[in-house]
Amino acid sequence: MNTRPSLFSLTFSLPLLIWQLAFFLFPLAFLVALSFWTVRNFQMQPNFDTVNWVKIYSRSVFWDAYFRTLLLASFSAALISLAAFPASYAISFKLGENAKRWMIFVLIIPFFTSYLVRVYSLQVFLSDAGILNAFLGYLGLGPYSMLNNSFGTLTGYATLCLPLVILLQVFSLNFVNRDLVEAAHNMRCGRLRTVLEVIIPSAKAGLVIAGLFAFILSFGDFVSPLYLGGGNPPTLSIMITDITKSGQQWPRAAVVALTMIATLLTVAFAAIKFAYREAGK
Amino acid sequence: MLDTPIVHFDNVVKKFGSFTAVEKADFQIARGEFLAIMGSSGCGKTTTLRMLAGLEDPTEGNILLDGEKINGKPTWERDTPMVWQSLALFPFLTVQENVEFSLKMRKVPKGQRRERARKWLDRLGILEFADRNISQLSGGQRQRVALARSLVTEPKILLLDEPLSALDAHLKVRMQSVLSGLQKDLGITFVYVTHSMSEAFSMADRVVIMSRGKIEQIGTPEEIYREPRNRFVADFLGSSNVFDGSLKSSGNEVWQIETEHSSFTLKAPSEVQKTDGSPVAFAVSSENMSLAAIGTPWAGNSIEATVVGGEFAGASATVFLETDQGQELKVQKGHDELKTVDIRAGQKLLVHWLPEHCHVLPGE
Repeated sequence: MNTRPSLFSLTFSLPLLIWQLAFFLFPLAFLVALSFWTVRNFQMQPNFDTVNWVKIYSRSVFWDAYFRTLLLASFSAALISLAAFPASYAISFKLGENAKRWMIFVLIIPFFTSYLVRVYSLQVFLSDAGILNAFLGYLGLGPYSMLNNSFGTLTGYATLCLPLVILLQVFSLNFVNRDLVEAAHNMRCGRLRTVLEVIIPSAKAGLVIAGLFAFILSFGDFVSPLYLGGGNPPTLSIMITDITKSGQQWPRAAVVALTMIATLLTVAFAAIKFAYREAGK
Repeated sequence: MLDTPIVHFDNVVKKFGSFTAVEKADFQIARGEFLAIMGSSGCGKTTTLRMLAGLEDPTEGNILLDGEKINGKPTWERDTPMVWQSLALFPFLTVQENVEFSLKMRKVPKGQRRERARKWLDRLGILEFADRNISQLSGGQRQRVALARSLVTEPKILLLDEPLSALDAHLKVRMQSVLSGLQKDLGITFVYVTHSMSEAFSMADRVVIMSRGKIEQIGTPEEIYREPRNRFVADFLGSSNVFDGSLKSSGNEVWQIETEHSSFTLKAPSEVQKTDGSPVAFAVSSENMSLAAIGTPWAGNSIEATVVGGEFAGASATVFLETDQGQELKVQKGHDELKTVDIRAGQKLLVHWLPEHCHVLPGE
């Protein structure tokens, strides 16, 4: 078998290759180099010093932020995937072709508006004297604190990820062979059990990748933890801006950014490996 | 209990909106029988099977399984395992886990589950693949997994929806003998849906022929082949020539039929009653027709026809002819018998056959 790519396919993939080199690989290499530079009198100087890595990794504030961000993003991925699944299942399995198309259209609409604008408008809902608390007050409940805490952050993450996760789940569920569902029923597997034993395993790859997207988007998000979570205690993305603002410490920000990239690469690799794992030898 | 048929379709109708998929299906399936339901696509054969499996609900009529009415009972409360055309094996489970699946649903303990699954894998000759993934198996091996998965619960009846259609011809024949062997050994009822006449006629005890939602004929392969009930069945089998005419005189021994070609004589059928002048259709098997040069003296039925073409593959040859009135005829003969006549296209020949080889179609 000839595995060498043809000139034809090379020509077409060249723009993408150049793009990737120019805007991903080169900046990444630069970021690595930058992390060894030093700052003196608010001036960056090319250097090869591990001081930034040592300083950042020896601070408990960094590790607190790291694990908080990891936990929030994991929670976000899990909760959003769980919340999305019943909706995706209903759209894929219970709706007719026409209604299905409408629902997919409706799920695309949130992307018409900037995410930042949507998060700002959520403040109106979530603040102490906001719409939700006013409504709950009528029912004799609350007020609950929903802004400037993890609840606010997670609500923002859901705004960011939920429509996308539902769409990805719907597309993967649409590919589940309906014969498998009938065959399971035929072998005495009831409705709910079929969802757990057959539909979820069949759509596993798509479901895991939908969750992975929620994780990646939440892990790197800056808007929700700042405007809905209050920014304190910080997540890693907030920490990066804090570090750059205080004393031009770009090299130390680079250390945080590289740690984030390494984490995302590890999680993505593990998730995809899990998603495509096959049964048997 | 043993005298009741295992399945009884009691005037079953299935409609999808205004489309009638199955019209008044009324038949029984005996215990231990291999029944094939045959027809072209869209004839309602798969819908009939799916109603029995509980995957569709009949619009009218009743379905009785073992004497018990099962309409409205969901498929997961029935013991009617089915083998899908796509096989519907679970790709996320191993071969062994696939076979264990229905035992797991029946809460059979793990050790027992494993033992029973392995027994069936062994019986079907695929034990060595127990821990493999489905995607690593060949078509024939997957077929065996699907069978093992359905038979592991030792059901009284097995439903099969064109399970061999994806296999190549050689493997198909081998799986046919596996299937009929299994059915005989187990003594359980097989209901087998197919569009292939060779599959149906080689395996089944009885065949149901359906077209456009209606059952055209039920009988043993031999009965259907020898005595097609109507024009549809005769045409469907593809080996008969059908003539239309009216009954001129009906004696005890012979009938005279007047057709647009000429008058034909046939042996009076014992089971059909008709009055003189009423329309009659009869079929003559293409094997029972012979060819001769024009002018050859012949005492039985004969007709002149022009050769259109022929197929000379296999043990016998098929000659296609057309009468002056435009009716197509098919004559199937051994190569030796055809040596004596000139069968070039355009050649006029005498087609002849005996009165006892005419079969009156009672359903016409």
